[in-house]
Amino acid sequence: MTSTDDRPSGADASAPPLARPGGTAFWLRAERLLSGLATLALWISGAGLTLMTIIITWQVFSRYVLNRSPSWTEASSVLLMGWFIFLGAAVGVRERTHLGFDVLLYFLPASAKAVLRTISDIVVLAFGGGMIVYGIQLARLTWGTVMPSLALPGGVGFLPVIFGGALVCLFSLERLAGRFAGLPVDVDIHATGEEM
Amino acid sequence: ETVLRSSDTHPDGYPTVEAVKYMGELIKQRTNGRYSIEVYHSAQLGEEKDTIEQTQSGVIDLDRVSMGPFNGIVPETAVPSLPYMFRSVEHMRHVMDGPVGDQILKAFEAHDLVGLAFYDSGARSFYNTKKDIASIADLKGMKFRVIQSDVFVDMVNALGANATPMAYGEVYSALQTGVIDGAENNWPSFESAKHYEVAKHYTLDQHQIVPEVLVMSKASWDKLSPEDQTIVRQAAKDSVVKMRELWDAQEKKSRDIVEKAGVKVSEIDKQPLIDAMKPVYDKYLSTPELKDLAARIQAAK
Amino acid sequence: MALTVLFGTFVFLLIIGTPIAFCLGVASFATIIVLGLPPVVVFQRLNSGVSVFSLMAIPFFIFAGDLMVRGGIAARLVALAGSVVGHLRGGLGQVNIAASTMFGGISGSAVADASAVGGLMIPQMKARGYGIDYAVNITSVGAIIALLIPPSHNMIIYSISAGGRISIADLFTAGVIPGLLLALSLMITAYLVASRRGYPTEPFAGFGRALQLLFGAIPGLILIGIIFGGVRSGIFTATESSCIAIVYAFLVTLIIYRSMSWSDFVAATTAAVRTTAMVLMIIGCAAAFGWLLAYLRVPAALVAFLQEISSDKLVILLLINVVLLILGTFMDMSPLIIITTPIFLPVVMAYGVDPVHFGVILILNLGIGLCTPPVGAVLFVSCAIGRIPIWTAMRSIWPFYGAAFAVLMLVTYVPAISLWLPNLFH
Ligand code: NA
Ligand code: NA
Repeated sequence: MTSTDDRPSGADASAPPLARPGGTAFWLRAERLLSGLATLALWISGAGLTLMTIIITWQVFSRYVLNRSPSWTEASSVLLMGWFIFLGAAVGVRERTHLGFDVLLYFLPASAKAVLRTISDIVVLAFGGGMIVYGIQLARLTWGTVMPSLALPGGVGFLPVIFGGALVCLFSLERLAGRFAGLPVDVDIHATGEEM
Repeated sequence: ETVLRSSDTHPDGYPTVEAVKYMGELIKQRTNGRYSIEVYHSAQLGEEKDTIEQTQSGVIDLDRVSMGPFNGIVPETAVPSLPYMFRSVEHMRHVMDGPVGDQILKAFEAHDLVGLAFYDSGARSFYNTKKDIASIADLKGMKFRVIQSDVFVDMVNALGANATPMAYGEVYSALQTGVIDGAENNWPSFESAKHYEVAKHYTLDQHQIVPEVLVMSKASWDKLSPEDQTIVRQAAKDSVVKMRELWDAQEKKSRDIVEKAGVKVSEIDKQPLIDAMKPVYDKYLSTPELKDLAARIQAAK
Repeated sequence: MALTVLFGTFVFLLIIGTPIAFCLGVASFATIIVLGLPPVVVFQRLNSGVSVFSLMAIPFFIFAGDLMVRGGIAARLVALAGSVVGHLRGGLGQVNIAASTMFGGISGSAVADASAVGGLMIPQMKARGYGIDYAVNITSVGAIIALLIPPSHNMIIYSISAGGRISIADLFTAGVIPGLLLALSLMITAYLVASRRGYPTEPFAGFGRALQLLFGAIPGLILIGIIFGGVRSGIFTATESSCIAIVYAFLVTLIIYRSMSWSDFVAATTAAVRTTAMVLMIIGCAAAFGWLLAYLRVPAALVAFLQEISSDKLVILLLINVVLLILGTFMDMSPLIIITTPIFLPVVMAYGVDPVHFGVILILNLGIGLCTPPVGAVLFVSCAIGRIPIWTAMRSIWPFYGAAFAVLMLVTYVPAISLWLPNLFH
């Protein structure tokens, strides 16, 4: 990715040979990258949830069976929960699984819908940006402090906000760019299938 | 007219909340109404760790916080937080009013905060649902709830008991069901959280006599003229007197309620417990400066 | 000005279909900027709002419920319940409410109750041809029962917010009858709605079949016993019990039912992430929003207004109920308890209302608020499990709101419902 060479890299093998930058090949590659990121985030979240389960089980076992309460379990599982939430919520932006109150959208023509959804995506992007910028500020403010029970810098607790924010930005940008490029990013997931 | 916003996690009417309100009245008088204080009590603006960050960022102006959350930020605050550091509440008040207290207040300035005054929270002691604690041997193997703080965990473990960090809201039912055998706190909290309804044995070991602190945001402080800074600092000092009056009255009231409810209150020989703190002191008094501070506290009359 | 920005941005974004988490977050972000305060506070609240140990019960109970569904524990439990009460109108609805009442006995959190019971019942009700909205609505409003039936952490928060003047033991006892009354009221409503919608009744399976189903369901029944017994006997706390439920469900499906593959496990995990991460994101953003409401003194202003209006106790209680319902629409339960108790309690006590009685009113009222959008964690959890938009649930939830509101009015105006039981112990 950082190569100064203009020749297409091996990762492009499946793209149409004549694709120009900004054309189909670019979209395919971006789509593949972002969907890979989303899968990775989902796996990290899932692993976080599994680890939380193991840690709390250990906490109960240790207290009840070994008669000894580890002091790190509660703090570390709360820390993992941060990763689980913010990465998972970012994936929700891409998969459009967030809970909304989209009553008005049902009654509007497609063009108006596209405008409103663009506004939505822009404010989500702005919030994601806030998560990065102010997450970094908070992490720096608290980096010199010590987290009780874990002996980690206090700022570690804000890393999930920062990384989650970065993914929120990427995924909302993807939707914005896709909509401008005329891709079907707004196909109503609520209207498909019999999940309803 | 400027309203200074102050946070407190205690409910309205609590001595620290009332003391900051009183300080606000003093400031209002002394600045001819140019400044006043509005207290956001009951953790409306967040828990202590959060409001410290808000104060550092200049979101709020004043913050009344216990010493514990500062231990990871301002190293000097770890010393008065150590178990059995003070012999009595009087000893603590005397030390914190003197040069040692001033030195610790000054240490906050490196962290975007201005230390204004020390309040206090009486003495914390152990209570439990099982038995009267007559000696250190009785503590062995008992499960005590502690706040999520390394010093508390190490102290309880050093006494031979099992420290169980747990959220405050879970303690009542944990005591009731036996998840834990006991917890520790001062008279007013033991009473207000109703833990005395289930824990009938209170042992006056007074392991923690820790001051609380009123800090101001450095950003807000710098906006004050030097004269106003003096007024604020003096009003904070004056509010300490008021706070102690209210505290002593509250403590007596709570103690009466608890004793009327049939809680057995017992004294204990503190020396063996103090002796058991050696490894804890070794761990937390990690620099010559901190050792020196501890020595000066203990040497004070 | 700041208030206009806060509510204006929020309502505008809500109407154009922005996800609720971001409506709350962006409205707070915009307001902070207008106020000229450092925006870090919004993102700090976002992080602190979800860095709460007891919130872990949400993903845990949903995860456990999902494992039970995939591994077949749930199907066996519900088959058993169906063979016993399935021949009643809205049989699975009745089972759902009964399950909420039982779960309420081990959990103080309505959100955890909705996660556990909803995770178990909604997919089953869906499979048996019940309307998903019906399943979601019963799960949501039924979960309020868990707040009233002891244990209830929110009652403890109330007592502490009241300056510790109120006995938690009395509060716990006072919640029992109102909780059972709510269960009864919801069961009647479930029956009526089921009749009107013509949900088919199932034939009674016969005692032999029921016994056979009972045998197959034993591992699931033991889990209820483990959670109940474990919490009662002090082996673990209510939050921890949600984690034990996962481990137990995992082991039973792996070892006894042998119906858990690696891909099942991965699917259950990622499903739990998808379902709960966004609910917790809303809770985090609601913490930022709530911080601004407190900072701008919104609750205090509302109360000042209230005190101007009337001196009649019945009118004041009604007004307080209305104000709490409105506040409960926009804010989460525990911050509201903390903020409104010190303000409302002195008012109602001046009118001669017993503080224990008021605690039950407050908890029930704010419990209803957990089921009302735009900030309604319990409704969101149930909708997420049922995979339906909130709007769909909202269209048919009114009879259940009505049932809960009727109980709220009864509890408000008949103090004995709350106070009779605790008075027995005095
Ligand atoms: Na309950
Ligand atoms: Na609500």
